[in-house]
Amino acid sequence: MQYIMDVAVVALRILMPVYTIIIVYQCFAAMRRRRRPERPLVLLQDLDSGVKTPVLFWENSIGRSRGSDIAIDDPAVSRNHCVLLRRKEGWFINDSNSKAGTYVNDKKVNGRTRVKIDDVISIGNKDFAFKRGEEFHEELQSSWFFSKVSNKPAMKPYKLLILISLFHIFMCVEAVFCDGATDYAPAYICMGLLAVEWLFFIISTTALKRVGFELESLCLFLTGIGVMLLARQYNGIKLATTQLVAAVAGMVLFCIIIKFIEDPDRVDKWRLIIMIASTVLLAINLIFGRVTNGSANWIHLGPISVQPSEFVKIAYIFVGASALDKLNTRKNLIEFIIFSLICLGALAVMGDFGTALIFFGTFLLIAFMRSGDFKTIIFALVGAGSAGLLVLTRKPYVLDRFKVWGHVFENADDKGYQMSRTLTYIASGGLFGVGIGNGYLKYIVASESDLVFGLMSEEMGLIVAVTIAVAVATLFIYARSVTTRSRSTFYSISACCAAGLLVIQMSLNVFGATDILPLTGVTFPFISSGGSSIISCWGLLAFVKAADERTYSLKVKS
Amino acid sequence: MKRVLQRSWIVFIVAIAFMGGLGFLIFKTVTNAADWASKPYNGHISNLGKITDRNGNMLAKTVDGERVYNSDASVRKALLHVVGDETLNISTALQSRYRSELSGYNFIWGMNMPKSFKGSGNVQLTVDADTCKAAYDVLKNYDSGACVVYNYETGEVICSVSTKSYDPQAPPKITEENEDLYRGVYIDNVLSSSYTPGSIFKIVTSVAAIENIPDIWERTWYCGGKEEIGGSDVTCVSSHGTVNLEQAFGHSCNIVFAELAVELGEEKMNEAAEKLGINASFEVSGIKTKKGNYNVKKANTNQLAWSGVGQYEDKVNPMQMAIICGAIARGGTPINPYIVSGDSGNVISDLGLSKAGVTGERMLSKDTANALDKLMRSAVVNDYGDYMFGGLTVCAKTGTGETVTGEGENLNDGWMVGYSKDEDCPLAFAAVVHRSSQYGYAAAGQVAKAAMIQAAKSLRAE
Repeated sequence: MQYIMDVAVVALRILMPVYTIIIVYQCFAAMRRRRRPERPLVLLQDLDSGVKTPVLFWENSIGRSRGSDIAIDDPAVSRNHCVLLRRKEGWFINDSNSKAGTYVNDKKVNGRTRVKIDDVISIGNKDFAFKRGEEFHEELQSSWFFSKVSNKPAMKPYKLLILISLFHIFMCVEAVFCDGATDYAPAYICMGLLAVEWLFFIISTTALKRVGFELESLCLFLTGIGVMLLARQYNGIKLATTQLVAAVAGMVLFCIIIKFIEDPDRVDKWRLIIMIASTVLLAINLIFGRVTNGSANWIHLGPISVQPSEFVKIAYIFVGASALDKLNTRKNLIEFIIFSLICLGALAVMGDFGTALIFFGTFLLIAFMRSGDFKTIIFALVGAGSAGLLVLTRKPYVLDRFKVWGHVFENADDKGYQMSRTLTYIASGGLFGVGIGNGYLKYIVASESDLVFGLMSEEMGLIVAVTIAVAVATLFIYARSVTTRSRSTFYSISACCAAGLLVIQMSLNVFGATDILPLTGVTFPFISSGGSSIISCWGLLAFVKAADERTYSLKVKS
Repeated sequence: MKRVLQRSWIVFIVAIAFMGGLGFLIFKTVTNAADWASKPYNGHISNLGKITDRNGNMLAKTVDGERVYNSDASVRKALLHVVGDETLNISTALQSRYRSELSGYNFIWGMNMPKSFKGSGNVQLTVDADTCKAAYDVLKNYDSGACVVYNYETGEVICSVSTKSYDPQAPPKITEENEDLYRGVYIDNVLSSSYTPGSIFKIVTSVAAIENIPDIWERTWYCGGKEEIGGSDVTCVSSHGTVNLEQAFGHSCNIVFAELAVELGEEKMNEAAEKLGINASFEVSGIKTKKGNYNVKKANTNQLAWSGVGQYEDKVNPMQMAIICGAIARGGTPINPYIVSGDSGNVISDLGLSKAGVTGERMLSKDTANALDKLMRSAVVNDYGDYMFGGLTVCAKTGTGETVTGEGENLNDGWMVGYSKDEDCPLAFAAVVHRSSQYGYAAAGQVAKAAMIQAAKSLRAE
């Protein structure tokens, strides 16, 4: 009897990693499908030569420089002459401070000007007729992520979710019958989790009429792993319940943000308000924050503790990204730089070194996506380096973490305590893990947040932990791929940078806990315990979802 | 739009950087997992396997999560450095070195496999608890030392004792007050220490002389108690008069061997030392012995002379000396010793971590081995007394390495190394006593005697 039980336990442990890989693969396989064929939206026909130029994007820069979406080889055209963009109401053109100006039907463009089919647009010495896209007949290339996609239909969203639910049920079985003693509390958590998953699915597909559910499926999968993993930790039921409730709040925020950024121009109007609100939030944090573990990044509102910097992450993406015709204006850029300084400064004063690093990494990403300028990046890095040194001399606990870096086992009972335990228990987990609740890392402080990669490795095995980390990294590559078709540079920049932020955060978490980088104490996206963290992760995910043109496709038809 | 999209390749750089880091982490984990898992604080290790001696006597086992050791305190202390304790401070001990294997750990399954699938984690050793106890009971009367006995025909280590020692059942907390009492206690002197050899190094000088001086057996020397070589005196304990090689070896005449070393010169002396592996390390069940030292590159004539009698900068390791003696006994080629039994069902040998009974490289020719055998046998018969080893036919050499002079009295490293020729007890041994005021014969000789007599008794009882 014991032998049969043992066989079952081992079989389940081997099954889980294989199952994880299948689910992650299925999510990405589904993401690659159902994409409209590459066709030009409209086209510009040169009235002199009759050459037709396809207009591929919702936002197109027009100018003499070769990097323009529509390059015009004419000395009278400025390098960045104007921007042709599509909105819900139709097509617009906006001049980008060109020397010669832009004309529609011989009227000079001043601000966004509506363009209709068969209108004549004059740029420099060239005149173009604005035509429908159907008049273009040549083949266009797809991006590699979506090319060579088989015509076989992807796994139906509900089937994928069944797979995921089943995985969480398996986790629940492990958690209920773990080595210590049978405890049915994780089963209630699991029921709650399944209810949330399916409710979200039903609302998303019926009420919101969303086409795709792959991205949400993947993140529900990750969130569920986090929740079920927590159920058997120290004080686990309470943590798991909080996590689940926060995840629901995160999903609501996810929907709100998608709705809010439906119109990229609305974001522009709210930009200043978002900045001010975030600054106020950080100021409240600075005034009322209590010092925990060396950094004062929490505010306590009665029974609820909030980490405002988590929400400012979302605001930061809002402020960093912009529509193409606003992107290069001086006002937009200055606002972004000021806001960056406010955020980094506030975090430095709080002593939240890890989050400051995340913001800085994201700053580099946004700055590069906006300007493409390496010089700016190098300047920023030098600046950050000197600021970092300043932090090291001012904050002894940060310096300690650098000192112990690479020497955790020599300081195993002192400064290297958490990292040495993490490594030991990663090794103890082997490839398949010791089973949920059977680990020992759970007795170490912050094992469910900062060290969660170790917890996952120990209890579910190295294969699962690595697969999950790779899944989050692949989310980033996916974000980049969907942006090739997004409706505005706002979406492309915000999606890449939001996903980038998650990957940077995950890197700090995984490599910090395992002594590859100094420990900074940040959370693993979607998995780590932490209400503010999970809400912010779902909020950031909204940017990736919004960048996918299918997200609004049912409602926006033009 | 296009420009923004082109810039988004930065995404791949960040993603590749992350994947690279992850790859590095996996690499680090694969290469270090056993080491990480075996840390003393690892909560999964609660059930290390049982360790037994060659006759199945329990040396260490786990009872209800507690590690318990042999019931005899002397056995516990005698085998501390072989078996180890829970503090893991003795890094060469089995329980430290093979901790993860003893706990049933492996990289793929980690810890906590269900009981039905777990390996036994048990280990049998080649040592004999009684012999180790006998050696320890003599050794404990001295500051520190080591004693090793091994079967030179099979390679099994019968006795391996290192002092200072303590009881693994109650490891001491070493503080500033008691650190003198426990100086060097975490080092296994059998494998990881080297000492000044003194006269036992005359074995090496003899090898060089026999192989390079054709008329060595016809020669005689006059010893007047001291002689000037290279500007300073080389001294003997007493005046030995006119001696041939055999007498010089037996009486341990410094002057003869000092002259021989100078006559042979740096090159020939080095050649002999290299062939005998003085500057090399041997592997015993996966643990490397400390290298000895014979280096006369910078020595002047007087120092070269002293190097021939095991002074100057000469150092040897006890296990190394036992192996050399084993080689002489077998006609020039040693069988490498091992301490973890090669029988199956033994977790360490099953994993291929320890090899049993491997033949080593030839150290000396058969003729030279036979000649040395004669010298060492004569030393026992004519100088030490054959009765000493209770009926065993032993060939041996004693030595006294001067380490500390002044301090009112001289503190020496006393040695006795050798082997028995009895067919039912093919045993090679090396015993060393550190910081003793006695000569090698008086101190180390007693340790060797106790160990050899008990080892023979145990082997004959099997």
